Amino acid sequence: MKKFIYLFLIVIFSCEKDDICSGTTQTTPRLVIEFYNISAPDEILAVPGLFAYGLDAEDLEVPINNEIVTTRSSITLPLKTDDILTRFKLYKSYDEVDGVTNGNPDTIKITYDTENVYVSRACGYKTNFDIQTFSISSDTDQWMISSEILITKITNENEIHVKILH
Amino acid sequence: MNLQAQQDSIPTVDSLIVKNKYGLRLGIDLSKLARTYLESDYNGYEMNADYRIADKVYIAGEIGNEERTTSTEYLNSTAKGSYLKVGLDYNMYNNWAGMENMVYSGLRFGISNFDQTLNSYTIYDTSSSTWGQTLIFESEKFKGLSATWIELVFGFKAEVLNNVFVGVNVQIKGRLSEVRPNNFESIYIPGFGRTFDSGNFGVGFGYNISYLVPLFKKAKK
Repeated sequence: MKKFIYLFLIVIFSCEKDDICSGTTQTTPRLVIEFYNISAPDEILAVPGLFAYGLDAEDLEVPINNEIVTTRSSITLPLKTDDILTRFKLYKSYDEVDGVTNGNPDTIKITYDTENVYVSRACGYKTNFDIQTFSISSDTDQWMISSEILITKITNENEIHVKILH
Repeated sequence: MNLQAQQDSIPTVDSLIVKNKYGLRLGIDLSKLARTYLESDYNGYEMNADYRIADKVYIAGEIGNEERTTSTEYLNSTAKGSYLKVGLDYNMYNNWAGMENMVYSGLRFGISNFDQTLNSYTIYDTSSSTWGQTLIFESEKFKGLSATWIELVFGFKAEVLNNVFVGVNVQIKGRLSEVRPNNFESIYIPGFGRTFDSGNFGVGFGYNISYLVPLFKKAKK
């Protein structure tokens, strides 16, 4: 009988952990972009002062959670789970002094299909993406020259989905 | 011949013969009725029966129907269906003469057939602060689901009035098989209870009232 009571307590305490989606579980993945050297396309090349904003339908800048200005060779961007198109403004050499923004912004546009996939009781569903197109809007001072989709199916953040040459 | 001789040699200490009641005990689960009345997301009933086949052994079973809506932060679903449990109860209690109380442990095999409707869900997205959360309200019904399990039961039954028993029991279950919905899973299984991410186990309890239909009396060995 004692053993049974212990077992019952174990079961009750294990409920709690079961109802919380673990941080290590891969839920809705973000898009991972890596930057390469245009003159040596196999070489990774960091972008100085890289910073990203989301762009909504009215072309307004939407701040991305945890996004900070850093020199880095890759960026992870959240796609809209309720849409099939997301745009981002990527700044090179971003700087903001007294409300005046400096830097070179380029806009990227990703179109994709979505699929909602069941994960677990605690995490519910995640959205996977299937990239259809990836484009860089051309402008007179474009720093991103070309792009290549490496993996169309976005199911996790451990792989590079798109390569950008600059 | 030898056996006969042995039995004959046992001296009779007491000539009083204790007779136990044998019969069919029929009952209902009061906790399920109470929950049906009190909880807006639960509807269910259970009927149970046992039949004494030996001094300490009963064939026992339950049959029931449950409808349960489970709502978590990210999922809202309703399971609805019927179940059947059959097995044995073993009475561990030594009754005084003429009493029929039970402190028992039991084993059951359970089977459930049910449907599950996914009412709505929110996409789990740790970066939802950028674009907002996506709620999906397209309800989807998954039919023809089933599960089987084994169950360990511990409980007691006390005779409170002549032939009327009240009992409490707890159940620990282990799922054996399951027909799962496509791109979803069974969040609640009628008769089995809620499921867990970390394993095939389940827990349950019952609060029963039952009536013994006495059929015959048999001397206690």
